[in-house]
Amino acid sequence: MTISIWRYSHLLLAISSSLFLLIASVTGIVLAFEPISDSIKSFHIKGSNDLSVAETIHTLQHHYDEIISFEIDSNNAMIASVITKEGNSETIYVDPTNGGKLGKPIEKATVFKFATNLHRSLFLKSTGRFFVGFVSFILFIIAITGVLLILKRQRSIKRFFFKIEKEYFAQFYHIILGRLLLIPILLIAVTGVYLSLEKFSLLPKSTISHQVSIENSGSTPKIAIKDFDIFKTITLKNVKAIEFPFSDSVEDYFLIKLSDRELIVNQFTGAIISEELYPFVTLASQWSMVLHTGKGNILWSTILLIASCSILFFMYSGFTMTIKRHKKSKLRHSNHNKDESEYIILVGSETGNTFTFATLFANALAAIGKTVFISELNNYSSYRQARHLIIFTSTYGEGEPPTNAKKFEQKFKAIQPINSIQFSVVGLGSLAYPDFCKYALDVNHTLASHPLFTSVLEPYKINNQSFEAFKDWVSIWSSTLKISLHIKQPQKKKKRKNNVFTIIERTPINEDDTFLLRLRTKRTIDFQSGDLFSFSPKEDEIERLYSIGKVNGDILLSIKKHELGICSNYFSKLQKGDTIKAFIKQNSTFHFPNIRKEVIMIANGTGIAPFLGMIASEKNMSNTHLFWGGRTRVSLEIYNDFIKKEQLSSFHTAYSQTQKDKIYVQDLITKEANLISNALKNNGIIMICGSIGMQKEVLHVLETISRKNLNLPLSIFEKKNQIKIDCY
Amino acid sequence: MKNKFLFKAFPLLLLTLFLVFGFSTSSESTKYKCMIQMINYTGEGAYIAISLLDAQGNYQKTLYVQGDDEEWYHDIPEWWSFYGKRRPDIDAITGETIPGGGRAISIIEIENDKINTGYKIRFETAVEDQKYYKDDIEFELTSETIKSKIEGKGFIRYVRMLPQ
Repeated sequence: MTISIWRYSHLLLAISSSLFLLIASVTGIVLAFEPISDSIKSFHIKGSNDLSVAETIHTLQHHYDEIISFEIDSNNAMIASVITKEGNSETIYVDPTNGGKLGKPIEKATVFKFATNLHRSLFLKSTGRFFVGFVSFILFIIAITGVLLILKRQRSIKRFFFKIEKEYFAQFYHIILGRLLLIPILLIAVTGVYLSLEKFSLLPKSTISHQVSIENSGSTPKIAIKDFDIFKTITLKNVKAIEFPFSDSVEDYFLIKLSDRELIVNQFTGAIISEELYPFVTLASQWSMVLHTGKGNILWSTILLIASCSILFFMYSGFTMTIKRHKKSKLRHSNHNKDESEYIILVGSETGNTFTFATLFANALAAIGKTVFISELNNYSSYRQARHLIIFTSTYGEGEPPTNAKKFEQKFKAIQPINSIQFSVVGLGSLAYPDFCKYALDVNHTLASHPLFTSVLEPYKINNQSFEAFKDWVSIWSSTLKISLHIKQPQKKKKRKNNVFTIIERTPINEDDTFLLRLRTKRTIDFQSGDLFSFSPKEDEIERLYSIGKVNGDILLSIKKHELGICSNYFSKLQKGDTIKAFIKQNSTFHFPNIRKEVIMIANGTGIAPFLGMIASEKNMSNTHLFWGGRTRVSLEIYNDFIKKEQLSSFHTAYSQTQKDKIYVQDLITKEANLISNALKNNGIIMICGSIGMQKEVLHVLETISRKNLNLPLSIFEKKNQIKIDCY
Repeated sequence: MKNKFLFKAFPLLLLTLFLVFGFSTSSESTKYKCMIQMINYTGEGAYIAISLLDAQGNYQKTLYVQGDDEEWYHDIPEWWSFYGKRRPDIDAITGETIPGGGRAISIIEIENDKINTGYKIRFETAVEDQKYYKDDIEFELTSETIKSKIEGKGFIRYVRMLPQ
């Protein structure tokens, strides 16, 4: 398993705290409803916030025999402890505007009592509190390591919120939600830790001690409470609580608790006897409490609720990712050790994806009786029997090695190989990043500079884990070394339900061995040009994909017959009225844009099929250009019926076999550099469909144009989804 | 016939007697305002049980409880061994716990014949995971003490009482 220190800590902390986190987040979800239900039931009186303390006290004293204290709760309602005219002591909600009784304080619901206890101490008192505080701290570290992982993935702070490549549901939303809920989760964690520290008296002392000034402590001149200057200036908005003097002895006073300070006021003269600001620790405690519980703020409690739910999701998706990664990176135990193997395969992978291809390749070699040893790049060593070295590696960050390849460079320098070795490097990455496969190129360079290593092939780059590209590389590699290799495609577990398709038309096979197949189905299937037609022949049950052109609701496929192709041969023999079982796979990344934009279509050979459908479609075509490369003029004939020239702004063809100097579709593009750069600049879309070889050449030309005419790397436009590719 | 009527009326008579005398045994009582001022300590709010004891120190009655969560009542073991057995309804004489440095004022009701007759009042305090004071404050009820300020030994700084 390949893991970096951050990913390792992120995972380890999550696993070790998972049980506690589970309890805390489930109870957290329950508790988030408490402030919501409280504020719905609140006795807050509108407009009472602006009443002065003097008015309020006057009203209350008129209404009750004695006021012992009152406080303003988090929902701005007033709870007063009073002695009624009947002589009963009551704690009730009162209306500060008229002193009327509003109701009794509602007892905390049992479910909230239970959840609170479980949430903060797991019913274990101090021990439990310690655990919860500690887990809160762990949550904080998990969040921080999570941020670091996103930063590593995105390669800079500036790009923190940039697009994330979607590999699968759990991975995608783990990151997306992680970024969105980072702040609430950090706040929950930090305030949680703070609240625990407070309970363990680990914070500096925070209580106020009042210094009573003697000169203000007398009982003269006596004035009425409603005329106290200080009471006239303070409004209820700023008051947390007021304690009334216990008796009419001079030593008793008003204690006023405001949001930021405490005042002691002489009960006879209204003079301020003492005024103390709350220390920072007290304010921090108040804020921690408010932020952690969401008291008095429905919006914030809702955010806390979502954050609590998200923690559950993170646990689920995190473990899904771990299991996936673990499965992928599990090496098939090769029968041979490093010193008896002829073929050495080394893998550099951050997430374990690269192992999938390396293992398939190793198994294919083993199947034809070769001795294979597969390991990580970090384990580079000397190999007694080695003749071939094949390296599969991804790139991490800005051309850095992935975690399990970090030591390779150093080890390679230190270890002298025993034999001369032929090597080949395969890079895996995404075109969306400017440093596409950079580390693979570096490794190739390192190996090539060693006298005992000979390169078999140019380094090969695979975009977005394309299985087709991988197969392409295997066929090039095996034919170069004159080995016959058969790669077993991993079986998809999910069996898709096939539909029945009827052949409407099959054109005769032309001189390029190409023909068109038109199919129709009775079932109503929603599909578009650019979607994929998936067919698995009985012989090997391996899925083949064909790009669909949708023409008048029918499926149009352009197929080239290969001598040994099971599928293409089967299709070439189909007659009108025959039926086949297959299904349509959505391929939304290769759909024609819904918004009116300039579109440049580039294809070679049978890659024209989806474009034929797009041209035929109702969607506005006023600004669409088609570039097509074929062998001869005759090659184009079978498509002629579908290419409505009036629908296209321009149509460019290149025929490789008609003249002495071969012209390819990329040469046409070089000629039309201005058209391309204008389209890129104006947010136009470039769609490429055809062979992998053509894709490479075309991307190369596009890169050159982009840099030369616009002074920008092509990856900028790839990021903005302006380049759509469907190649095989 | 007459006998039969008497026989029938007998339980009714008993009930009437009980109603008349059963509840009138308690004498007049007075309400007192009682302020508890806590010392500055950190940690959870304190649970405080205020009880009436006879001259021999036996519990007679619960006068007031600061702290409304029954789950923690066993943290005040002496009082709990008295109250916990029968657990009469004390909702009307229950308040919130008092945090360090805080004060609470409550109204407690004491029968007049318990004053100057050797009865005592006891304030027991307990803070979660900290100490328990069996007699943070304990004093004999006299017409003097009931109006004075009494210093505490534990979490209570002082208690002041005032007849209503």
